Amino acid sequence: MTFSEFILRGVLAGSIYVLLAVPMSLLFSTVRTIDFAVGAYALVAAAVAASVGGVLGIAAGLGAAVAGSAAMALIFLLLKRFGCHNHIIYALASFGVATALASAVLWQYGTQSFVRDSFSQFWSLAGIRISPQGVLNLVTALVAVTILYVVIQRSQLGRMMRAAAVNVMGSELAGIPVELIQVGTYLVGGLLGGIAGLLILFTAGLDYSAPLSLTLSGFAAAIVFGIDNPFRALFGGLAMGVAEALAAGYTSGMVTSMVPFLFLLIVLGTSRFGDATVAGDRT
Amino acid sequence: MTFWANHRNTLIAIAAVLIAAPFVASRPVWLDSAVILGVYALLALSVGISYGQAGILTMSQGAFASVGAYAAALCSARWGWPPFTDLVLAMLLPAVLAYGVGRVVTRLSPLATALATLALGSVISIYIRHADDLTGGYVGFAGIPAIGFIDTPLEYAVLAWLLVIAVVYGYENLMRSAHGRALNVLQQDQARARADGIDVARSMSAAFALSAAIAGIAGWLYAHYVSVLSPESLDTNISVTALLMAVVGGAGYVLGPIIGTVLFDTLTRLLPAAELQGLFYGLALVVILLVARTGLMGLGEQLIGAARSGLGRRAAPAAGLPARAAS
Amino acid sequence: MNKTTCKSWRRAAAVGATLGALALPLAAAAADAPVKIGTVLSLSGPAAVFGLPERDAINVVAKKLGFKSPGGRPFELVLHDDKSNPTEAARAVTQVINNDKVVVVVGPSTGSGILAAGPIASRLKVPLIAPAGTMAVGDRKNEFWPWVFRMAINDATSIEFILKDMAKSKAKKVGVLYQEDAYGKTGVDLAKEIAPKLGLEVVETVSAPYSATDLTAQATRLRNAGVDTVFLQVSIAALGTSFLKAARQIGLDKPIYANAGLAQRSFAENVGPEADGLRTLSIGNLPFEPIAEEKELSDLLKADGKVPQGWGEIVGANGLLAALAAIDAQAGKEITGESMRTALEGLCGFRSYARGKICYSPDNHDGWDGSSLTIVEIRDKKMRTLD
Repeated sequence: MTFSEFILRGVLAGSIYVLLAVPMSLLFSTVRTIDFAVGAYALVAAAVAASVGGVLGIAAGLGAAVAGSAAMALIFLLLKRFGCHNHIIYALASFGVATALASAVLWQYGTQSFVRDSFSQFWSLAGIRISPQGVLNLVTALVAVTILYVVIQRSQLGRMMRAAAVNVMGSELAGIPVELIQVGTYLVGGLLGGIAGLLILFTAGLDYSAPLSLTLSGFAAAIVFGIDNPFRALFGGLAMGVAEALAAGYTSGMVTSMVPFLFLLIVLGTSRFGDATVAGDRT
Repeated sequence: MTFWANHRNTLIAIAAVLIAAPFVASRPVWLDSAVILGVYALLALSVGISYGQAGILTMSQGAFASVGAYAAALCSARWGWPPFTDLVLAMLLPAVLAYGVGRVVTRLSPLATALATLALGSVISIYIRHADDLTGGYVGFAGIPAIGFIDTPLEYAVLAWLLVIAVVYGYENLMRSAHGRALNVLQQDQARARADGIDVARSMSAAFALSAAIAGIAGWLYAHYVSVLSPESLDTNISVTALLMAVVGGAGYVLGPIIGTVLFDTLTRLLPAAELQGLFYGLALVVILLVARTGLMGLGEQLIGAARSGLGRRAAPAAGLPARAAS
Repeated sequence: MNKTTCKSWRRAAAVGATLGALALPLAAAAADAPVKIGTVLSLSGPAAVFGLPERDAINVVAKKLGFKSPGGRPFELVLHDDKSNPTEAARAVTQVINNDKVVVVVGPSTGSGILAAGPIASRLKVPLIAPAGTMAVGDRKNEFWPWVFRMAINDATSIEFILKDMAKSKAKKVGVLYQEDAYGKTGVDLAKEIAPKLGLEVVETVSAPYSATDLTAQATRLRNAGVDTVFLQVSIAALGTSFLKAARQIGLDKPIYANAGLAQRSFAENVGPEADGLRTLSIGNLPFEPIAEEKELSDLLKADGKVPQGWGEIVGANGLLAALAAIDAQAGKEITGESMRTALEGLCGFRSYARGKICYSPDNHDGWDGSSLTIVEIRDKKMRTLD
């Protein structure tokens, strides 16, 4: 009973990680880089939504998050124009964007934590009380992953994305707008990060110091089962939520905090993650 | 003449330190900065070896430094080891850790190594925070003694930059050894390195272990100078800062990380202290990356290359380039 | 009076002043120059929650005084950010002492920052006025103990105060949630130590990192341990709100007490009805029900466009006032770091923005006792003072 309760709570908590992990996975498969600013997009969305309020606030929050990712996409384009094709430089630049966004939020809204209430009633599931917000988080994550899966696997756009991911030059020769797809991926990352931020706003709350740790949680979830597919990010996020909940429920503080990192090290040490890109990615 | 050609970077580093010394020694506040800057320069150099040479994008140098720092603290404050003997442990411990992890991460792409080393750094720092009896836990470790006769900021500054010069000298010798050439090959093309008979995993792990040992020196120096340690003293932020310093200066160049350190530190000190500092910091980082993608050393090389092709054949051998970038 | 005479009068005055200055002994000239006070506070990083209000209060009080001590001595403030990091704190303290020649430093904001800066203060002989309750800061075994004056209530006193209130209820079995840092860990250790003396027992402790987005597992564990009451040792408001939501969701319907970390306006205002009845320790109640002395500070802040946040302002403002009182205690004398230290040790009952009396002596650098502490209860998004 207690065990299944921890599992259930872990799954619900993990859905936030899923939304942070999916942008990592998408960006890694199309641009082969990492966006450190995903957590910052989440913070920006939550801060703007909390201060504007209501449905308009939600729209404004998502808009602000996408605007943040647009800035990152612009920097990415500029770097490419200036002749930089180093994926690590893109990642470091996104670190600068993340720092700048978090600082802007601190300046504008101060140190307050952003948190809002959604549901005051709870559902009982076989004796376990859960919040409808948690269910909403899970459904949102599932819907987002499903939409992405359908787009990537079934649509013309998805075929172009996959082609651009595998072979940039070949795709360009075939008339695929590779750059547009890459910019689009950054923007989708901003949108998903923004959604994650809004869900955190209504679930637990966050403040100006959250972005980097949110990004790192997203990373961990994204690579646990392999980074190349949003569906794996789904299971990665949920597994991380469950692992954390079980650790918090049964172990000491030290083990709880180590769980995601040990998990990550073990997975990296035993899986074939990155093997395919070893030769090509050395810049 | 051969020594000059082979140890250009060391000589430039010595010259730069000698030129800066009288100015720094005249202001107490600069002396303190010089020590901390030396610690950062050692950390950035360790990134240079790990990332610039072996291709391991490391985010655990802060954690390695903290292992070295806590080793120094325990040896000197608790177990009463004589001065400088604790340096051995402060280098050995991080090196062993790094070698073990290196065997795992060397198969990975640089971004994946970043994640793996980040995870390693987090595990180390969580351990430090929880090992109350050994490290003082969250509250930390106070009362770390000075290094024997070295006590004043001036003496520490001298020691710090002697260490930096020694590391640069060793780095330069390494890069001309068979091992260094092997690193260069496998960084370009691992398949070819394997075909050449290079044990890729061992080679990269050894470089990573060396870089961790240098980070350990930085931690050792830090612990004795500041005399107090806590889990936040040398945390992930320091790892990221060291990485940025190395990349901004030019991770592939021997002196690049040092130049990055000086520039970065000056920059953060000039920025206004307030809520908006992060914004300026972030923007500055983006601008630097836009302007100098291969680091300032790379930019300098390009500029000088352009100037030379404009001037025809007048220029001397490449010796002048890092000199200008270093000054 | 026509312009010409005015001008020539001024010129004469200027010449006279110059001659006078030349003639005066050096010490007297130094007495006219502004005394420099360093403020090294957390303006970024997790501790900025307290560092920014500390800075705001110091600024408005200095402005109100016209940058002159109550005794008429001009002073200057030098502000640095310790970034919530001990390395930066040590550097910033070195810089303000060596570079800006300050004679006293208010800060650093965090306990670990003060511990890192202590040896420097001691070496350069400039006292620190330390706004943190961390026990280790006031440990007599520290070599730098003579140079650190606490401007906060020490953690043991604070925790005993709130646990005493808890012991008044029928609760016996206590569950603790703490955040994973020095503040959380030292707090939970002290709670375990103090609770048995008050007839309480800590039966379960759970922790959370800063980044936790979901605390239902932690709340479930406390519920399953059968606790009668919960004690929160957290200062990150988001962790506090997150836990309260989780507790309500999983049906952990027990009275909740919190240490002073949560006595912040933004916590009270942002948290929902689940926080009603939560009792938290505070130094005064600046944001909602300021008493007379606090009211003045609160009005000053509001007049400057600032919103009072909590006890950060009280601690910061009193840090500055302590420094100024020590300066006034040496009227007409040349002021150095060493003379400031001696003056601070003799400081007792100076005018402050607080309920309790602040008193230092050569044997006591903790200054405040529990008399400034108060317990506030959260109701309708406000903190109500209980008496």
